[in-house]
Amino acid sequence: MEFYTNALTSVLAWGPLGAMIGATLLGVLIGALPGLNPVMAIALLLPLTYSMDPLIALGMVAGIYNGSMYGGAIPAILLRIPGTPASIATTFDGFPMADRGEASKALKIACWSSAIGGIASAIALMTMGPLLARLTLFFGPAEYFWIAIFGMASVGVMVGSDPVKGIMAAVLGLLIGTMGIDNLSGQARFTFGQTWLLGGLDLVVVLVGLYALPPVLQLAEKRDLVGLSSGQLKLKSAPFEKGEIRGLIPTWLRSSGIGILVGILPGAGGNIAAFLSYNAARNASDDPASFGKGNPQGVAAAECGNNADNAASMIPALSLGIPGNVVAALVLSALTIHGLQPGPQLFHQNPILVGGFMMEMLITSVLIFALGGMVATRVFAQFQRLPGVLLVPSILILMCVGVYVINGRMVDLWVMLAAGLAGYFLEKVNVPLAPVILGMILGPMAEQSVRRALLISRGDATELLTRPLSAALAVMTLLVILWPIAKSLQRRRKAKPV
Amino acid sequence: MEKRQDIVTGLLFAGLGIAAAWMATGYKGASGIYPMTLGLILTLLGALVALKAVRSGRNETRALVDAPAQMITASVVAALYVAAVVPFGFFTASFLVMLAMPFALGFRKPLYALIVALAFVALVYLVFSVLLEKPLPREAVLSLMARGG
Repeated sequence: MEFYTNALTSVLAWGPLGAMIGATLLGVLIGALPGLNPVMAIALLLPLTYSMDPLIALGMVAGIYNGSMYGGAIPAILLRIPGTPASIATTFDGFPMADRGEASKALKIACWSSAIGGIASAIALMTMGPLLARLTLFFGPAEYFWIAIFGMASVGVMVGSDPVKGIMAAVLGLLIGTMGIDNLSGQARFTFGQTWLLGGLDLVVVLVGLYALPPVLQLAEKRDLVGLSSGQLKLKSAPFEKGEIRGLIPTWLRSSGIGILVGILPGAGGNIAAFLSYNAARNASDDPASFGKGNPQGVAAAECGNNADNAASMIPALSLGIPGNVVAALVLSALTIHGLQPGPQLFHQNPILVGGFMMEMLITSVLIFALGGMVATRVFAQFQRLPGVLLVPSILILMCVGVYVINGRMVDLWVMLAAGLAGYFLEKVNVPLAPVILGMILGPMAEQSVRRALLISRGDATELLTRPLSAALAVMTLLVILWPIAKSLQRRRKAKPV
Repeated sequence: MEKRQDIVTGLLFAGLGIAAAWMATGYKGASGIYPMTLGLILTLLGALVALKAVRSGRNETRALVDAPAQMITASVVAALYVAAVVPFGFFTASFLVMLAMPFALGFRKPLYALIVALAFVALVYLVFSVLLEKPLPREAVLSLMARGG
């Protein structure tokens, strides 16, 4: 309890509190603009956090994450355009509600559901995170190695349509992570005689390129020259009727549980949580046929589910160093920027920071109630009147200024552009990007751990498998990799004609 | 699955893996073993992707670029912008790209674009130069004015 009391005192200072309020508002705006997403926004934010207090930086990440997950519902409900991938399920009932003149009610339900899902998720993070971290006291180098490999394997397998491509992307990330001077031997690796590569490729530079440039190019491809008319964005106030909130409580409870479970699973994201919650609400309903035709329970389930995934995805990230999704990977990058090693040691070395971040996830969820209401929604919906082609150079400028200020060198801008183009084409050929970043983050930890384990055992590789915990982690990794292969063989056997 | 794209992707990754493994043979001791292993695994996975594509009976057509003209235009303007940052200065280049990019993509409301460009560049200046005090490439216009003065 003292852990959270101290953390709460730190995050309620003016700096972190102001950052959370500003970032939650910014997050709602980002989510409301189709083409922009929380991953891109946090990637753009990271370079600016170098000189910031870590609690302010993490407060901004928390605000943007929670705010944008709700913000995505605004165009999903008003225009049937999901602001973020996680709000696709919101369109199913949100748009039909708007179509029959209940847009304000749908937005209000989305706002409340997002906040409730976020709060439930933050409570799960605050209770389960420290418990899981305690387990890590038994970890040695071999366990750290397997934890890193398990994280990459599970994200590689779960993200994207082809597990082989996912693992291939993770290995690419691991290879990129080896660039620069090797800390243990001093050997320069893959530097091609370039002094600027001696420190390796900057994670944030690659990250901004990979995650921000492809959506910019896609916006350019859409070539939106007009934006939306003001008539499409008119909203009236819509108070809850008697008994309406009580009717939504079972959906909120169910969707929160689903979102939290999905968040803990590495690789599964908010969109999966939203779909599962939506389906569960439909199955539990007395009138499943009304889903897809403007049932408020559908909006509540989707929005509560996608926000309940947020903080929960930080549970494996903060306690084990395995990010549950890309935003969790970005949070790990933010920690790395501030010289903190993601993973099990974090809870013991920086309790105020970890506890503070958990509190920030909770506070920013509560802030959605206060800031995501009708006034903010009305204001942010107006930004959709900007033609998309004007957003293209705006984001490009933010990317460039963000990347330039990291090291103050032009070569980083070219690296960012190259990474962005590579990211654009990799996504097109269904090679997921999250494992690349994860490989870059966890690669150094994996390499150092395996080399330390081998040094301790004087080169005996069986040491990696003989301790019960490391053997269990190795078996789990193997199962994660073999599971899709087994499923594919099973599918093939079923498809064979008798 | 788009057969041809997957074959090329697999071969590219396999080639990258071979090159990495080969380069790693030149690194001393343990610092070479790890990247060499990764290079070999990447080669195997790349080959597997290519092989799966060759053996697959399915071939769903999938465009690599949805709107090539816009994508190439945006990429070229972005590269020109990065190239212009040092000679022109950050804010001048940013102002120019705010006008050039929408124009190149077909936006024909110059006054609208000008107002948005001025407002956005002013906002970026306030946030990054005034509030955060981040050093950015110097403006060529200011240097010329200083020389003239």
